[in-house]
Amino acid sequence: MKAPAPRYAANDGVIDAAKAALGDLLVEAKDAVGEVSLTVVREKLCDAMLALRDTPGLEYQQLSEIAGVDYPERAERFDVVYQLLSFTRNHRIRVRVTTDEEKPVPSVTGIWPVAGWLERETYDMYGVLFEGNDDLRRILTDYGFQGHPLRKDFPMTGYVEVRYSEEAKRVVYEPVSLAQDFRSFDFMSPWEGAKYVLPGDEKAPAAPVPTPPVKDAKTSENTAQTGAGQPHPGNQPGEKPKDADVPAPKGEGQK
Amino acid sequence: MTDTAVKIPEREIDPATGDTSIANYTINFGPQHPAAHGVLRLVTELDGEIIERIDPHVGLLHRGTEKLIEYKTYTQALPYFDRFDYCSPLAMEHSYVLAVEKLLDLEVPLRGQYLRVLFAELTRICNHMLNLGSHVMDVGAMTPNLWMFEIREDCLNFFERASGARMHSNYYRVGGVRQDVPVKLLNDIAEWLDTRLPQLFGDAISLVAENRIFKQRNVDIATVSREDAIKWGFSGPMIRAAGIPWDIRRAQPYDVYDRVDFEIPVGTRGDCYDRFMVRVEEVYQSARIIKQCIQDMPEGPVLTLDRKVGAPKRGEMKQSMEALIHHFKLFTEGYHVPAGEVYVATESPKGEFGVYLVSDGTNKPYRCKVRPTAFSHLQAMDFMSKGHMLADITAILGAMDIVFGECDR
Repeated sequence: MKAPAPRYAANDGVIDAAKAALGDLLVEAKDAVGEVSLTVVREKLCDAMLALRDTPGLEYQQLSEIAGVDYPERAERFDVVYQLLSFTRNHRIRVRVTTDEEKPVPSVTGIWPVAGWLERETYDMYGVLFEGNDDLRRILTDYGFQGHPLRKDFPMTGYVEVRYSEEAKRVVYEPVSLAQDFRSFDFMSPWEGAKYVLPGDEKAPAAPVPTPPVKDAKTSENTAQTGAGQPHPGNQPGEKPKDADVPAPKGEGQK
Repeated sequence: MTDTAVKIPEREIDPATGDTSIANYTINFGPQHPAAHGVLRLVTELDGEIIERIDPHVGLLHRGTEKLIEYKTYTQALPYFDRFDYCSPLAMEHSYVLAVEKLLDLEVPLRGQYLRVLFAELTRICNHMLNLGSHVMDVGAMTPNLWMFEIREDCLNFFERASGARMHSNYYRVGGVRQDVPVKLLNDIAEWLDTRLPQLFGDAISLVAENRIFKQRNVDIATVSREDAIKWGFSGPMIRAAGIPWDIRRAQPYDVYDRVDFEIPVGTRGDCYDRFMVRVEEVYQSARIIKQCIQDMPEGPVLTLDRKVGAPKRGEMKQSMEALIHHFKLFTEGYHVPAGEVYVATESPKGEFGVYLVSDGTNKPYRCKVRPTAFSHLQAMDFMSKGHMLADITAILGAMDIVFGECDR
């Protein structure tokens, strides 16, 4: 790796050790960009986490982070991604489960109490449910907020805005009204896989029409047609006038 | 609280109640409280003056930064990181640029790496000045805070001379730093480290470190065991004060941290005083690192010469058509980052600040999750302050070093 990113212990053998420890709890294991990610069966997440924490040779003692990721086009649209850290082996690993809006993910608060708020945040931002988290309240958004703002189908501008109302003498909630439309520019190069029709392209016919063959192509069959062999082909060097403003007399060949 | 005179007959009826019936009561600490270090609302359940339960309500400074970043190119997302932990902006940028570089597998010139480490450590000093100063002020001392703000002011001036901005520097770039620093600045920093910093800081700490009142307010307050520190996801000075010598700069060195020499202070009791003193020692160690950086820094470019990522200099653009095209492309479309995901965590002054970056191969991050340090620490507030007095809340909060720009994002 050329990049100066944090360098921890090598990934060699981690996937094999995880396969041995997790058995059929493991769905997929891969080593990409220098990091190991495991996908495990959602229902058995707690067993997998306990195995990762307690198996000698894995020893991931700390849960650093839980992140949600939304892929709306998938059947189980959410990834819930856990980052684990081993102090003793100086290694990081990523554990992932997939879920959707309804299927709950088992809570790992029993293993790591730090998961409490992290799961609350994932619930708040994505609406992922965690089974066994007894305090699954919203955490970052406003009291009484509706929706899950980090979902890809949640508009960036949101639905409501607040302002202080001089009449009501309190902060009021109103539907969002923008003085200028939200603009999201697409700077992707249109030559590299643009998924839309470029402006002006809609005028062009769908398939390019092939050029029809020319029926009477102009050909020269003898020298008389080209003007070659004429006694005065014109534009001879000697004929150039002294005065540059006077055009040269045109010979026969240039008629 | 009940009026005992009126309640006497009732008490005789109910044998479960003792001599006096005192109900627990709940108070709101914050959201607007000078010792809350920002907008923190603590719903505190008290038994007399003893804390029974604390429910921190965070999110009052939530700005949806992670959502915003999904709509920005990789270059445009960088300034948002200054606004996470606005007390140590460059440390936040550090995690992000390292994450993008890891996805791109981009090499960074050595001088750029040294400059990043130098300014990350200067940021650590700057951050600790604010935290130590406000901590001592929260428990009743005034003067050290004023002196330490002098140091912080010096640091901000250095940032301004390097990047043009005092706080939101926006100085690091994917592939290095924005521009080289003048030699005079490095000289001034070196001189400052030798004269002004140890003098002012030493004076300020000498007022509190052995002070009886300060110790009474901090020693044995909110002790955390090693096991709890790991379970609750502690990092940075919080985990070191609990006695675990864990420092990402040492264990998982990034940039040139493996070329500099420094020591990791650890605590013995895991209380607020240890957390304070760990930070005090870290300031001296940071000063050591900066000195080594200034000494060892080679000459050379500070930003990658890969023009598909690093922007060309303006002078070059006047001469070269190629540079002009690169500049235009970089500041409109930006650069494309190969699809993949990374989690890069660095040792920010407050602990492990991580960036989980998911790229789908376009010029914008598909998902950028920030791992704030404050989230795990503040969550532990409940068990840490159980059984302590109401007035200890400020000491516990002060020793946690929480900034809400980062906690709430």
